[in-house]
Amino acid sequence: MIKVNDLGKSFGSAEVLKHINVEIYKQEVVCIIGPSGSGKSTFLRCLNRLEEPSTGEVWIDGKNIMDKQENINTIRQNVGMVFQHFNLFPHKTALENITLALLKIKKYTKAEAEQRGLKLLEKVGLSAKANQHSHSLSGGQQQRVAIARALAMEPQVMLFDEPTSALDPEMVGEVLQVMKDLAREGMTMVIVTHEMGFAKEVADRILFMDGGSILEEGQPTELFLQAKQERTREFLKMVL
Amino acid sequence: MEFFNLIADSMPLLLQGVQKTIELALLSLLLATTLGLVFGIMRVSKKAYLQVPAKVYVSIIRGTPLYVQIIFFYFGLFPLIFGRATSPITAGIFVLSLHAGAYLVEIFRAGIESIDRGQFEAGRALGFTHGQTMRYIILPQAIKRMIPAFVNQFIISIKDTSLLATIGIAELTYSAQTIYAVNFKAFEFLAAVGVMYWVIINALTWFSHWIERRLSAV
Repeated sequence: MIKVNDLGKSFGSAEVLKHINVEIYKQEVVCIIGPSGSGKSTFLRCLNRLEEPSTGEVWIDGKNIMDKQENINTIRQNVGMVFQHFNLFPHKTALENITLALLKIKKYTKAEAEQRGLKLLEKVGLSAKANQHSHSLSGGQQQRVAIARALAMEPQVMLFDEPTSALDPEMVGEVLQVMKDLAREGMTMVIVTHEMGFAKEVADRILFMDGGSILEEGQPTELFLQAKQERTREFLKMVL
Repeated sequence: MEFFNLIADSMPLLLQGVQKTIELALLSLLLATTLGLVFGIMRVSKKAYLQVPAKVYVSIIRGTPLYVQIIFFYFGLFPLIFGRATSPITAGIFVLSLHAGAYLVEIFRAGIESIDRGQFEAGRALGFTHGQTMRYIILPQAIKRMIPAFVNQFIISIKDTSLLATIGIAELTYSAQTIYAVNFKAFEFLAAVGVMYWVIINALTWFSHWIERRLSAV
């Protein structure tokens, strides 16, 4: 589904990603953990070229997203993204946030778009909030609308960039629940997270990043209980 | 009492001036907004071939007085290019638009840059192009924030039309000049003209507050 070959990213002289090679399979849920500044978010953002990789290749569904022949906008429709700060459109209602891309990119009629939008709101448990503007929603609700908005385009992959880090603790659960449901439905997901409990429960594989590289990877049980690298064990001791 | 009779007698001519002033201001602002939007979007672009022309435009126009620009285009550049004098109205609207447009570039730039970067990223991540993201996501939010600065520029432009009297456009100030050139009541007529500008501008200010209230209610 996603294949990353020798990906590198530098900001000026600072090398934030170094020689990343990884493959993510269809229907797999991969969590990326690691200390802040380790390059997790930058790596995730390279997967839909919100961040321009300096070197290497990223293949998504058989297309090299670095290839100038490929239309990045079409590829991005296939890759949903959820942000730490939700980034809902404040001038739109919850429903309009979801339907905007359907109307303008997929050229749905208003009725079709709203039907699909309402279905997605129902899926994230927010049917009642369809006509509210984002500022009147709680953080957890906003993030659930943001997930619904990303799902509207029927992406093959969903990227989550610390989706619960900006939430009050009591709202983390509702967002994680929506993500668990998605995982159960077989969505391919790449999740940068600090929620170790969630990672342990939902992830098929965990990548541990430090200093711009993937230091170690493995199934949750094996990584959490018997990490091979000293650095990984150190990190896990701090957060678990 | 004599003062009011004097003004009342000249009212038709003054009102013609008011009409011309408003026409000039509206038309110039319309063109200036177009210029401001196009160059404003170029100004926030990362591509040098878009950004640099916008910067040069703003720098030249903001760096020189409007009065000089009016004289320069009307008496200098236009006759040179077209081989004859252009109509004062055409030249006047051109210069006013060009002038206000440069300030609007900066207003658009500030408005666009005030929108959180995450909005842009959310749009691009959904698959919107750069242009679509601007149109459907960034500009609707930015324009709302720009309204006070925009109104301010509109007010300045209305008053700037008075400088067009120098090239013989019969706007409000010029109308007054032609009247007091005959009756020598400069003080009275300039006072009357001042009041008329004040009324136009405050009516506009009131209108813009009304719009702002309506927009913030949404």
